[in-house]
Amino acid sequence: MFYSVVLLSIFGILNLFLGFLKSRAWLLPVTLLFLATALVVTLTDWNKSLFFWNYMMSTDNVSVAFATIIIVSAMLILPLSRFYFPNAAAPVPEYYAILLFSVVGAILMVTYENIIMLFLGLETLSIAMYILAGSDKRNPRSHEAALKYFLMGAFATGILLFGVAMLYGATGTFNLSGLAQYVRTTLVNGASPMLYLGLTLVLIGILFKLSVAPFHFWTPDVYDGTPTLFTAFMATVVKTAGFAALYKILSVSFTGIYSVWWITLAATSVLTLLIGNITAVYQQSFKRMLAYSSISHAGYLLIAVTAMGQTSQSSILFYSLAYTLATITSFAVLILVNENRAGESFSAFNGLARHNPFLAFALTVAMCSLAGIPLTGGFFGKFYIFINALEKGLLFLLVVAVLMSAVGIYYYFRVVIAMYMRGSDDNAVADRIIVPKSYAAVLAITTFLTILLGVAPDLLVRYF
Amino acid sequence: MADKIFYFLTFLSLISAMLVIFSRNPVHSVLYLILTFFCLSGHYILLNAQFLAAVNIIVYAGAIMVLFLFVIMFLNLREDTEPRKGMAAKLAAVVSGGLLLLIMVAALRTADMSTLNNPASFDSQIGLVENLGRVLFTDFLLPFELASVLFLVAMVGAVMLGKREAGERNF
Repeated sequence: MFYSVVLLSIFGILNLFLGFLKSRAWLLPVTLLFLATALVVTLTDWNKSLFFWNYMMSTDNVSVAFATIIIVSAMLILPLSRFYFPNAAAPVPEYYAILLFSVVGAILMVTYENIIMLFLGLETLSIAMYILAGSDKRNPRSHEAALKYFLMGAFATGILLFGVAMLYGATGTFNLSGLAQYVRTTLVNGASPMLYLGLTLVLIGILFKLSVAPFHFWTPDVYDGTPTLFTAFMATVVKTAGFAALYKILSVSFTGIYSVWWITLAATSVLTLLIGNITAVYQQSFKRMLAYSSISHAGYLLIAVTAMGQTSQSSILFYSLAYTLATITSFAVLILVNENRAGESFSAFNGLARHNPFLAFALTVAMCSLAGIPLTGGFFGKFYIFINALEKGLLFLLVVAVLMSAVGIYYYFRVVIAMYMRGSDDNAVADRIIVPKSYAAVLAITTFLTILLGVAPDLLVRYF
Repeated sequence: MADKIFYFLTFLSLISAMLVIFSRNPVHSVLYLILTFFCLSGHYILLNAQFLAAVNIIVYAGAIMVLFLFVIMFLNLREDTEPRKGMAAKLAAVVSGGLLLLIMVAALRTADMSTLNNPASFDSQIGLVENLGRVLFTDFLLPFELASVLFLVAMVGAVMLGKREAGERNF
């Protein structure tokens, strides 16, 4: 894993130099090749348990799997950029380089063994996202998104660092296993209150990045204002890496004081599920609905973290993958619809099924997966998480989650109804959307994988 | 002697930190913030961490504060253009901030720091440049190097966002 971090950092710098080339045609294939190389290097660490550089990073099968999800989602999002920048002067090499660097940050977040590495990974990823949020320089909404995300994110980082300082003050170490050892010994002697304070502040810092209520206020505006391509990246890579990081710090270091933190997480997850799902019902814009849906999925994932047990890491993994695939599909279709019909509201999707059956089918599968309908990956993702909650005896969480999935079906199916039941009102909208090959390939892959995960979840689950 | 200096510096830094928040004029706020940073550097020197003290003054009081001043003068902020907050927001902020303060005071009052500040095991040379450098280039070499990726991202982003594109309006 260490080598893929080094490789991706070097590839990012190479990408900046590719900007000197006259032709832009090579840029995308070369970047995809870079990511594929990193993916192969990452996969060579399968079934190895290694520590790097004085216990700064570690590799195990779970972190390899999370890193694979991150790199694959980057590889699926990048081809969508092919026709995304109509402006010839758009600094595409810089965008790709920043995306590669942000993948470095995300990998650090899934492999860290020392809190310093967690901080570095989180910041690399966040700063890259602040920049990409503001990359549409002529759009005031993009400026608003970047500024809001940056100011609030910087504040959350400050809180996280304050918490890390407290943890260091209590334990004298940054190392995850050192923290775990302190927690084990203090179960006998009684822990320092600074430890609890530090843990709470660190949790706030991480939960902010995951847009968990009550730290979710930035999410709709930022997701809405950011260029859709980068919103897709934000909604998938940042969430996956963040949950891997959250699960790792809690499961490695703080299982000893489970009784202290589980109530906090249970309360935030109930709040997130309620706020995310109920507010999503009132949205008129598909993109804003996806932003609230990403909040609600953070709530489901948080249930798996709260119900920490033998199988929760595999269910987090499965859920992240299913959510990532469905989200990439939805954003890809949204980009096409927005480019061709100039609208992000639900009514822009009216009559899509008649003119573009493939797009409508892909989006329907994605919506079914997000809503948790059987035969899609999202169903088994929710199923495994609910089983975790049941095994841990968190019945009230289960009840809230099931009720809120029912609410979810309502707003996810609004777009399906618009596509299949509503005719388009005016003729200009009726034009067939021409789907570029790169989009068709990405949509085919994500839709196939979503259905595959829904039909044969055992393909993935048996490895963990 | 050292504890008298400590209390004086602490008093000064608390007062100046409060003035940062309470002064109406943003330029005054920045100047008080510089004073706060100097007081904190004094604390670092009391802790025998000269390198940190110097870096704190050079980076924060020097570079970042100058940046702040530039931005504030550039935006031309004045009291009458300051957005007014509603009473409910102010009250909520006071309550939540006060709760955090209460919890922190309670937590730190009973905190047991004996593992860290035991005079027998404390190495007074630990904050000096030589020791810091040795730790940075051996134990913490990987984060030290990866911080360069972080700075590179920020740098690329600053150039990308700041660069003028063809057809863009000039000021």
